[in-house]
Amino acid sequence: MFFALTDDQREFGAAVRGYLAGRFDLEAVRGVFEDADGPGHPESLWKAAAEQGWLAVTVPEEHDGLGLGLVEAQVIARELGAGVAPGPWRGTVLAAEAVRLAGSDEQRAAWLPRLASGGAVGAFTTRGRVPGVLPTVEYGGLADVVVAPSGDGLALVTDGAATPRGSYDGTTRIAAVEAGGAEALPGASPAVVAELTARATVLVAADLVGVAREALTRTVAYDRDREQFGVPVGSFQAIKHALADLHVAVTMAEHAALYAAHAVDAGLEGRDLAVAVAKAKASDAALDATAAMIQYHGGIGYTWEHEAHFFYKRAKRLAGQFGTADEHRARIADLTIG
Amino acid sequence: MDLSYTAAEEEFRSELRAWLQANIPDEWVRPGFWEALPDDESFQLRRDWERDKAMAGFAGIQWPTEFGGRGGTPGMKAIYDVEMVRARAPQTVNPLGLAFLAPTVMAIGTDAQRKEIIGPLLRNEVIWCQGFSEPGAGSDLAALATRGVRDGDDFVVNGQKVWTTNAMHGDKVFTMVRTEPDSARHRGISMLLIDMHQPGVEARPLKQMSGASEFGEVFFTDARVPATDVLGEIGDGWRTAMLLLSFERGASGMAQYTEFRRQYDEVVEVATRLGKDRDPVLRAKLARVLTDLECLRLHAWHVLTQVEQGSDLGFEASMTKLMWSETSQDLWEVYDELLGEDATLDRLRLDDLDLDLRPLHAQAMWSRSVTIWGGSSQVQRNVTAERVLGLPR
Repeated sequence: MFFALTDDQREFGAAVRGYLAGRFDLEAVRGVFEDADGPGHPESLWKAAAEQGWLAVTVPEEHDGLGLGLVEAQVIARELGAGVAPGPWRGTVLAAEAVRLAGSDEQRAAWLPRLASGGAVGAFTTRGRVPGVLPTVEYGGLADVVVAPSGDGLALVTDGAATPRGSYDGTTRIAAVEAGGAEALPGASPAVVAELTARATVLVAADLVGVAREALTRTVAYDRDREQFGVPVGSFQAIKHALADLHVAVTMAEHAALYAAHAVDAGLEGRDLAVAVAKAKASDAALDATAAMIQYHGGIGYTWEHEAHFFYKRAKRLAGQFGTADEHRARIADLTIG
Repeated sequence: MDLSYTAAEEEFRSELRAWLQANIPDEWVRPGFWEALPDDESFQLRRDWERDKAMAGFAGIQWPTEFGGRGGTPGMKAIYDVEMVRARAPQTVNPLGLAFLAPTVMAIGTDAQRKEIIGPLLRNEVIWCQGFSEPGAGSDLAALATRGVRDGDDFVVNGQKVWTTNAMHGDKVFTMVRTEPDSARHRGISMLLIDMHQPGVEARPLKQMSGASEFGEVFFTDARVPATDVLGEIGDGWRTAMLLLSFERGASGMAQYTEFRRQYDEVVEVATRLGKDRDPVLRAKLARVLTDLECLRLHAWHVLTQVEQGSDLGFEASMTKLMWSETSQDLWEVYDELLGEDATLDRLRLDDLDLDLRPLHAQAMWSRSVTIWGGSSQVQRNVTAERVLGLPR
C-alpha cells in the first residue's frame, strides 16, 4: 500500500514551489493582477514552465515530453494554485492532452512538441460549440490553439477571433472566442471527451486544493502573531475550531485530488466517482478556506493591498469550472443512489 | 502510487475469509440477532467465539510472535479489520485490552506482566476494562480524584470511574489513580491494574439514552491492589496513559469506511423504499456524506501508508477521529430527516411495506456518542489547532 507522492513527485512539486517563492512571488502576482488590460502572461514564468518541464509533463517522450501522468500534473497544478500563479499553463497542458488522446499522427507531430516547449499556447473549453462562439476561454486571446466541443467530438480552433471579457480574478484572462474554421480531432469519441474533461476537472481541483492549503497556512501564521485583547487571536477557540475544521477539509481535498488523478491515470473503475468527489471537496474547501482567510485576518483581509483577495477570487472562479460542488454532488448521487 | 496489498497479505485475506465463512453461523448476521439476546448470553457467545478465533491464529495480527501474536504486517491488520466488518463478525469482547493495554504492556511492562497479561488477554481468559473517566473528569482527565493510599505492600483505592466499557463483565481494570496525596493535575498519578473480583469493587450498569448498557460505573471502596501491579512507574501514570492512548492511532479507518459505507447503503435503501430517493434535496445531502466517506477511505490509505513507512502520525490522530465521528453523525442525521414525521416510530408501515426501524434507530442513537467518547470533537479541534497547526494555547 502506497497512497502518497513518491520522492520524485514531491521534488517536482518542491521545485515549482521554490521557483514561485524565489522568482514569482505575490508581489509579481500583484503586478499581473493590477495590470488588468495586460496579457496576464508573464514571460519569465512561461520560460520557467517550459524549461522546467511543467508544460511537457504529460506529453509522450517521443514528442519531446516527459511522459508522466496526471498525478505529476496535479502536483504542478497544486503548486500553481498555492502561488496563485497567472498564465495559460493548464489550458496548454489540456490542449496537449486532447491532441495526445484524440489527435492524428500528423496533429500530434505538429502540436505536441510545440505545446511541450512553450512554443504554442493552448486552451481547452467545454462551453460553446464549433462553429460558433466559445463564451469563456481562459487565455483565449492568446491561445494558438483552442480545443473545443464540435458535434459529438472535439475540434482544434486555430483562427478564432477573441474578445476579452472582464473578470475580477486578475490571475487569469478570459476571452470569448468566435470559432470559424476548425480541424476535427479524429479520435475524439464521447469516451475520450469524457476522459479529457475528467483530466481538466482534476487539474482544476488540484489548483483549488493548493489555493485552499495556502490560504489556510497564511491565516494560521497571521493568527499566531496578531494580538487583540492582549493575546494572539489564534488562541481563541472560536478561531481555533474553525481553522481545525478547515485543516480537516483541506487535507481531505488533498487526498481526493491525488486519488482522482491516480484513478484517471490507472483507468480505475471508480474513477468517475473519484473525480466528482475531488472537485466537490476541493471547491468547498477552497471557498471556505479563502473566505476564512478574509474573516480571520480581520479588516486588513478586506483591503486591496492584502493578498487575501487573490486567493478568494481565484477560488470563486475555479469553484465553478467544470462543474460546481453541487453539480458534482448530483453526479455522486447518480453514481451511488442510482 | 500502489493501492494493492502484497501476495502474502492477500493470502492472509483468503485464509481469514475462509475461516470466517466456516465459523459464523448464518443466524448471527441476521439484523437484530445480537440485540435480541440477553446481555450475558451474548457476551459469553462472543467470548467463546473470539477465543476459538484466537486459537485459529486470527488474533494479535500485528503482535510479535513471542507474545503469541501472528507477527503480521500493518496491511494484514487493515485487512483483518475490514474482513471482520465485511463478514459481520461479532464485536470483540476485549476491545480496551487488545487495542490499548496489550501494546502498552509489550512496550513498558515488566517481564512478569508481559507473561501474566498478554496470553490470557489473547485467549479472553481475562476481560479488561479501562478506568479513566470520572464524574468530575471527562474531557479533563487530569482532574481525576480517585485516590490510592499506600498500606504495606498494597495501595488502598477509593473513588469512582464512569463510562467503563464492559463494566459488568470485567475481570480487571487498568485504572488511573492519584497515588500521591495533594498532587495536582498530571503529577502523582499511577496506572494500577486492579482485580475487579473483590469486595471493594462494585460495578453497576449505566443505562444510556439508547436504552442499551454498553458502559457502566465502577466504584472503589477500600479496594486493594498490590503495589507491584502498576503499569509503568509509580507516580508516572500520566506518561503511561499517553503512551496507551497513542495506540489508538492503529484504529482502522478502512474498517470504519467499510462499516459506514454499508450504513450509507442501508439509509439509501430506506429512502428508496419510501420513494424519496428521487428527492433532489435528500440526494444532495446523501452525496455530501458520501463525499466525506470516500475521503475517509483515502485518509485510511494515507494513515496505513504512513504506518508502513514508519512515520510518526503524532497528533494527526485527532483529525482522524474528528473526521470519522462527525461524518458518521452526519449520515444518521440525514436518516432522521428522511423519516420525517415517522422519525421516532419502531416500525414503518406503508402499503405493502413493514420495516423494523429499531436496528437503524440504535445506530443513529449511537452516533450521538461517538463525538464525545475518546476525546470530544471540541477537544480534537483544540488538539488539531494547537498541536498540528501550531496555534497558541
